[in-house]
Amino acid sequence: MSEELRVSPIETRGVAGKKRYAMVVDTRRCIGCMACQVACKAEYDTPLGVNRTWVPYKVVGKYPAVKKQFLPRLCNHCDDPPCVRNCPVEATFKVEDGGFVLQRYERCIGCRSCMAACPYNARFMLPSHRTYTPITNVVDKCTFCFHRVTQNLVPACVQTCIGRSRVFGDLNDPASEVSYLVATNATQVLRPEQGTKPHVFYIGADRNATEFGRDAYRKPDVMELERAAFKNHFKI
Amino acid sequence: MGDYVWFHDVSWHASYAVYFFIIGIVAGLSFLSYGSWITPALRPLREKAAYGSIALLALGSLLLIADLSQPLRFLNILNPAYLHFTSPLAWGSLNIVAFGVVSVLYILALVKRDESARTKLLATAAALLALGLPVYTGYDLTVHQSRPVWNTPIMPVLFVALAIASGSAVGSLLAAGNEAARRVLHQYLLWSTAAVGVILISILGTTNYGGAAEELTFIILTTGTMGLIFVGIGILAGTAAPVALLLAPFGKQQGGLIVASVLVLVGSAALRYALLMGPQQLQTLY
Repeated sequence: MSEELRVSPIETRGVAGKKRYAMVVDTRRCIGCMACQVACKAEYDTPLGVNRTWVPYKVVGKYPAVKKQFLPRLCNHCDDPPCVRNCPVEATFKVEDGGFVLQRYERCIGCRSCMAACPYNARFMLPSHRTYTPITNVVDKCTFCFHRVTQNLVPACVQTCIGRSRVFGDLNDPASEVSYLVATNATQVLRPEQGTKPHVFYIGADRNATEFGRDAYRKPDVMELERAAFKNHFKI
Repeated sequence: MGDYVWFHDVSWHASYAVYFFIIGIVAGLSFLSYGSWITPALRPLREKAAYGSIALLALGSLLLIADLSQPLRFLNILNPAYLHFTSPLAWGSLNIVAFGVVSVLYILALVKRDESARTKLLATAAALLALGLPVYTGYDLTVHQSRPVWNTPIMPVLFVALAIASGSAVGSLLAAGNEAARRVLHQYLLWSTAAVGVILISILGTTNYGGAAEELTFIILTTGTMGLIFVGIGILAGTAAPVALLLAPFGKQQGGLIVASVLVLVGSAALRYALLMGPQQLQTLY
């Protein structure tokens, strides 16, 4: 993105002297092992029924030529995040040097405005009871593993990705792998029309996976039955 | 089939729609109490509307606080060190507090039977702050530009029209038997409900002609259970039927006005529910 396209002072991509972390997800390399999802769960003890990262898939094609299209999902750590704008108490904020969109748990009032604002469903409400941590009843999300990245480690999902589908780095550093991948490949972001300037870039993402699902075309009542079964299963 | 779709929960649940409904009546009643200073026919409603408004404000505020997952932290939203003015919720909370303070002062003046210019000024201030209540609730939805229907800029205007309609409906029930007040409220109810109808047609039209998300949301809003609530109860029974009734000779009589008022109240509750929940359904599949 050229500097001329920067419309909000909160945006830090291309700003000299500042880091702007991003993730590239090469969907051609994703085998759908869900190891990233498990690594994230292990790192954060994310409760049942909610995820910081998840890997939905669509089955495309016609038998016998069918295949699964995986689309690993997580918070897009947008350069112009609507969740930050919509939080009434600044519980959600963007780290200027790095671009992480983080959450202050002790300040969050649980109004869910940030959840409503996020076009990617990246945010979720933590349940009222958890086994190992007292952080409950507040909104949570992917942090790009802020605690690991500031220790010069990559996020847990990137560390564990056996296909090297997920690549993480500083997009403002022209020598980084993510800069190289973004510069040399055709990349896609989710819902670019929302103007959020997402910083999770996909290579080879199929529109079957990035657009609204055809499930929505099904009768709402059928959809509701499935949703009720899902909620009942996870007790949410 | 065989796809792995992760169902996400909706952000705002039905309790928020109840809050929208109550806060709309609060604003509408406040308008009526102020209107009694301008239109003598509404004078019998002045105290009733003001008392009803403050009582429902207390109920609505409790509902809003109870809806937070951290209810005791509602004070954070009034902490100047935390307040974030890019959020309509921040403005809304200040609006509610200011409205509550002015309403209490206004009611104290009414209790003292003070009919001076100062009390009228308080009524004016309360009505202006009351206007902010439906505006901020509508704006609260409009800022979420990724949600079809919510993102239409006409949403605050719709909420103002709904507030006038539901306030006039409650006023009609409170003013039962008063001929002069009934005639004025008949006009208020008719025109505000008709305005709601026009705005809904506009929203449905633009939604149906929108992109994929808008088209799918239109389907969700107009079919199945949500269609029954939105189109059946909200538009047909709660908007079109009362307008037709109010235009008929029977609608000008006390019985007709009461029936129309009840229909408008049921319809406006259904509309708020559908407008809140319907546009969230599609997002839960993404």
